Amino acid sequence: MTRYPMTRYLLSRLMGMLVVMSLVAVLVFILTRAASGDPIAVLLGDQATAEDISRVQKLYGLDKPLPVQFGIWVNQLLHGNLGDSIFLQRPVTQALWERAEPTTLLALMAVAIAAGIGVPCGVVSAVFRGRMLDQLFTGLAMLGASVPSFWFGLVLMQLFAVGLAWFPVSGYGDPGATLLERMYFLVLPATVLGVLNSALIIRFTRASMLDVLGEDYVRTARAKGLSESVVVLKHALRNALVPIVTVLGLTVALMIGGAVVTETVFGLPGVGNLVVSAVLRRDYPVIQGALLVVAAIYVVINFLTDLLYTVVDPRVKY
Amino acid sequence: MMHTPLIRRRTAVAAALLAGTGLVSPLTFAQAGKSALNLAMIGEPPTLDIMSTPADLVCIIMQHVYEPLFTFDAKASLVPLLAESLPKVSADGKQYSITLRKGVMLHNGRELNADDVVASLHRWMEVSPRGKSVSKEVATLVTKGTQGIEITLKSPYAPLLSQLAMASGMAAIMAKESLAQPLKEFVGTGPYKFKERRPDQYVLLSKFDDYSARKEAASGYGGKRTAVVEELRFIPVPNANTRVEGALAGQFHYADLLPIEALGRIEKAPGKVVPIMTPSFGFPYMVFNTKEGVMTSQPTRKAVQTAIGEGEMLAAGFGDTRFFVAEGNHFPKGTPFFSAAGTTSYNERDAAKAKVQAAAAGYKGDTIRILTSRQYDFHYNMALILAEQLKRGGFKAELNVVDWATLVQRRSDAKLWDIYITHSGQFPEPMLSPPQLGDGAPGWWSSPAKQEALSALNQESNPAKRGALWGKVQQVIYDEVPYINVGKFASLSARSPALEGYTPNTYPFFWNTSVKN
Repeated sequence: MTRYPMTRYLLSRLMGMLVVMSLVAVLVFILTRAASGDPIAVLLGDQATAEDISRVQKLYGLDKPLPVQFGIWVNQLLHGNLGDSIFLQRPVTQALWERAEPTTLLALMAVAIAAGIGVPCGVVSAVFRGRMLDQLFTGLAMLGASVPSFWFGLVLMQLFAVGLAWFPVSGYGDPGATLLERMYFLVLPATVLGVLNSALIIRFTRASMLDVLGEDYVRTARAKGLSESVVVLKHALRNALVPIVTVLGLTVALMIGGAVVTETVFGLPGVGNLVVSAVLRRDYPVIQGALLVVAAIYVVINFLTDLLYTVVDPRVKY
Repeated sequence: MMHTPLIRRRTAVAAALLAGTGLVSPLTFAQAGKSALNLAMIGEPPTLDIMSTPADLVCIIMQHVYEPLFTFDAKASLVPLLAESLPKVSADGKQYSITLRKGVMLHNGRELNADDVVASLHRWMEVSPRGKSVSKEVATLVTKGTQGIEITLKSPYAPLLSQLAMASGMAAIMAKESLAQPLKEFVGTGPYKFKERRPDQYVLLSKFDDYSARKEAASGYGGKRTAVVEELRFIPVPNANTRVEGALAGQFHYADLLPIEALGRIEKAPGKVVPIMTPSFGFPYMVFNTKEGVMTSQPTRKAVQTAIGEGEMLAAGFGDTRFFVAEGNHFPKGTPFFSAAGTTSYNERDAAKAKVQAAAAGYKGDTIRILTSRQYDFHYNMALILAEQLKRGGFKAELNVVDWATLVQRRSDAKLWDIYITHSGQFPEPMLSPPQLGDGAPGWWSSPAKQEALSALNQESNPAKRGALWGKVQQVIYDEVPYINVGKFASLSARSPALEGYTPNTYPFFWNTSVKN
């Protein structure tokens, strides 16, 4: 055995992450530039001539050969610079930073809602396997997995924003709004994402609990005369948590880059919205920078989730 | 101030729940006491440089910050804005002497002078596509003292003042010291000054206290402008359904460009929202590639014109008959440029005749590639009908549906398309749009007849005579078919009943508006 297995593990994971990120950078650049469309033609509008377009292309360095553009971009990356947005008149890092808050808060609130619904329902479903409650929750999970988020968003909007007027329809607060005030604008979108994503958590929790409930130590716990709630919540659920934590981690990562539809429907100035508008306008630096950052977040969350296993399940060692 | 949903009594339950955790957040609490308008726009502006792009969205926002020398009143007549009066024009129509109004303050606290105007117009002629076309007509542009500007043209060019007055791609007058490429500061003379931009969240404009308003009564974009509301918040809400819901919920004082299907819901909520229909808002048009491919043949284009029914295309594009008018005159009845010239070729939808014309033109069944996008639903819906009409007329048609960024790139390449569909605002001067009336725009229409008709129109400064001369241009367009003006469409927007003083315009503005308490 090695003397510092954890250190070795961490180093090898970090090296792996670097390789992944390098591949992502190359792929992102190639895919972005392989798509047709021209940001400058979009920027200048209908009346721009070919000369106008090529003049402004030169201004943004888009007239240079692609390998040269790639080299410039990589050089910027190595200096911690993601480049400047063509449309937003600001550095990509600043644009991403401005959107980090709504997206992160949305993801965390949504995961809290998803876990709040998904874990208890999954546990109940497993405990009452085959009975009415199980069928009800399994059915709800199926429904949640099938409902499109834009439709569910519009339904909640009509009910709670237009009908009852409890929540705002869209946006992220007035200028000068406090953090708590801005969070108020996230309640409906987080509910949409949370409810829909809870479907997955229900199914994973149920499956994981069913595995664990059949284990010997659970039978032993019951034989010891422990109450059913202690058996389920302390002995079974704790051991069933590893796959659930994995799913929750992946859900957070997915939401940071993938809450695109919900952010668009609710007009949230988040990363998803930024990526969509950047893709539509072919704002290359933003697309490349955002995808790279989202990939980095995904890789880091995956890594942290793996580390979390050791906390959730002391048997796991690296 | 507007009562947003969160400060209605019904919200008390939710607000109280949140109050328990300190989450009390009515929409406008943060800025209590300050009057503000929440204005839902169709998206994030691509730039705030109003000169560099003709994008409507940029114009709608930044026309509050920047002003041109002249503008259009409610009757689409030219009136002075930053200029003291309409210019003195020399007898040969080549020299324009403009005098600035005195005491006009810039947002940086300095008084506007002729140097600012000349520097701004030079920049406009460098960066704006319309400005560039004007620059070809201009021999010299100089100051005459601190308040005077003199423009000398190479030859008479009647659309000059309209070009200087047009709000989109505006010949905006900026503080000389703020001029840069790209702009870093936005220093104009308008009733509102730029305050802050948070992309995808808002563009904030605040009232300019030292604004120097004209004395004449307000009319259209002209006359007295007063910033009554202290802050304008232009909020990007790209999802059209969300704009509708936001308008119905009372979150927005104004919601721009709503789907026509939403009219029923808006009409059923009279106390909450007021529909705004702007007739003759714009016109869809299909451009033919006259440079390469099957559409270079004028007789084939003529056959296509015969095959199509514009009325059917408009119905597919807009559905509700209140939102479109199928008429061949490019300018509405009652306006100076109304003409029926050539309109017998409009809306023929005669497949049999088209087949005969196509055969005579030597059409051999080449595929006609229709380039379109789903960025605007009506473009796509009209393209579907167009393709079917062409097939009925014996043509082989193929739809190339791409996203908008791809369309604007591909239309610059003559090898990639035969027809593309787009639209334009309906403006008071023919030379303002579509760009195909100028040189070099996709379609690349160029012919002696075009040159002759446009030259006559552009050199005639008498407005009464220009109307008739436009009729001749319209006739050439119907004869040579470089593009087909499909008809006119209206737009639908909505406002809160609390927003007072708003008058519908192609480019909505919010000076002279107030908010009912």
